[in-house]
Amino acid sequence: WRRRYCCGGRGWRGPEEAVSRARTALRVLLSKALLTRPAIACSATEERRLLACKIHTSPRSLAGSKAASLHWTGERAVSVFLLGLLPAAYLYPGPVVDYTLAAALTLHGHWGLGQVVTDYVHGETSFKLASTGLYLLSAVTFAGLCYFNYQDVGICKAVAMLWSL
Amino acid sequence: MAAAVTVGRAGFVSFRGGPLGVAVQVCRRAHAAAAAAPATQASARIKTFAVYRWNPDNPGEKPRMQTYEVDLNKCGPMVLDALIKIKNEMDATLTFRRSCREGICGSCAMNIDGGNTLACTKRIDTRLSKVAKIYPLPHMYVVKDLVPDLSNFYAQYKAIQPYLKKKDESKQGKEQYIQSIEDREKLDGLYECILCACCSTSCPSYWWNGDKYLGPAVLMQAYRWMVDSRDDYTEERLAQLEDPFSLYRCHTIMNCTKACPKGLNPGKAIAEIKKMMATYKEKAASA
Repeated sequence: WRRRYCCGGRGWRGPEEAVSRARTALRVLLSKALLTRPAIACSATEERRLLACKIHTSPRSLAGSKAASLHWTGERAVSVFLLGLLPAAYLYPGPVVDYTLAAALTLHGHWGLGQVVTDYVHGETSFKLASTGLYLLSAVTFAGLCYFNYQDVGICKAVAMLWSL
Repeated sequence: MAAAVTVGRAGFVSFRGGPLGVAVQVCRRAHAAAAAAPATQASARIKTFAVYRWNPDNPGEKPRMQTYEVDLNKCGPMVLDALIKIKNEMDATLTFRRSCREGICGSCAMNIDGGNTLACTKRIDTRLSKVAKIYPLPHMYVVKDLVPDLSNFYAQYKAIQPYLKKKDESKQGKEQYIQSIEDREKLDGLYECILCACCSTSCPSYWWNGDKYLGPAVLMQAYRWMVDSRDDYTEERLAQLEDPFSLYRCHTIMNCTKACPKGLNPGKAIAEIKKMMATYKEKAASA
């Protein structure tokens, strides 16, 4: 009925000659099959017709895969693990913690930025480009951290040295 | 009611009830008594309202803000009262939805002074120097003026199958489905939702991905049926959300809970769904 209210409102206040035309149009517009966004909202101007968007009516994934919720659980697990790992790195610095930190931080960052990409990068091609870029970035980050651990003082020592500056 | 009759125009107030309404009424009565002897009218309290206007019948016309000046002494206390006054007395072309005028139908949801809320339960800010700004719900297609297109929102609500589903329907209609008091209490804070869309349209994730992300209002109703002890399809309902968008676009920024004019907490409901998603049995869903 909400729609009828607003369409009715449009009907009364239209210019005189448009009233009868509007009434016929109303009858067509109110038919159940047409009560969707493209039919109603995009009728006014050409540019809005281009904006016609898909309505999310049916569940899109019936694959029976738990991928999405496992991903979420993984994210939480890594976050909690990092919370424990940071004090551990302070108390027991060493190569094992260095490499664990490198892996956990990279994974945490990769998933976090992945959420940003999913949120903001629209369109199939640009999404693929962005995800590929993100994989490259994460790979380079991880390789860089491992190289730093191997060739240099290691993450724990490096952070500790910040205080001695 | 007698008081309302004696104070005339303050009659609006008496219908709202509540301690504030009574206080205002008493105050008005005292004021009316003091001003009764001289014929001078209380000085007008002019408040400016800037209202979003857009008419699809004029092709090419851009949306604009139109200002109206309303004397608060001659207007009810709520923003909806002002809008109705404007429509009745100043500009009949102003278009907005309204029905119950008491916060139970959800029709008059709009963006008032930067926040999504119901015009009927939102008091007019009485600081006269401030312009009250009224927009339609943000990031929605506009049908006309303050009327947003909620087709997508309703379609999403339909998609979560918001009704009781039983695996064994042979007992349907024979006797009532009994629920314990504890199980019933789980629905408190969920069933009160009036689907005004204030929360969903305050959510940036819903702005950017409204076509695929279900949004807080719909997810809270999904949760309402998941936790209903009488419903047999909890796992299927959960399995339906197994994709990166339907549920997991929520990043718990809690705009929804802040916006809700009914004081509900969709953010918590979504968090509960995420917890259930992590533990439910996939087997049960496919069975």
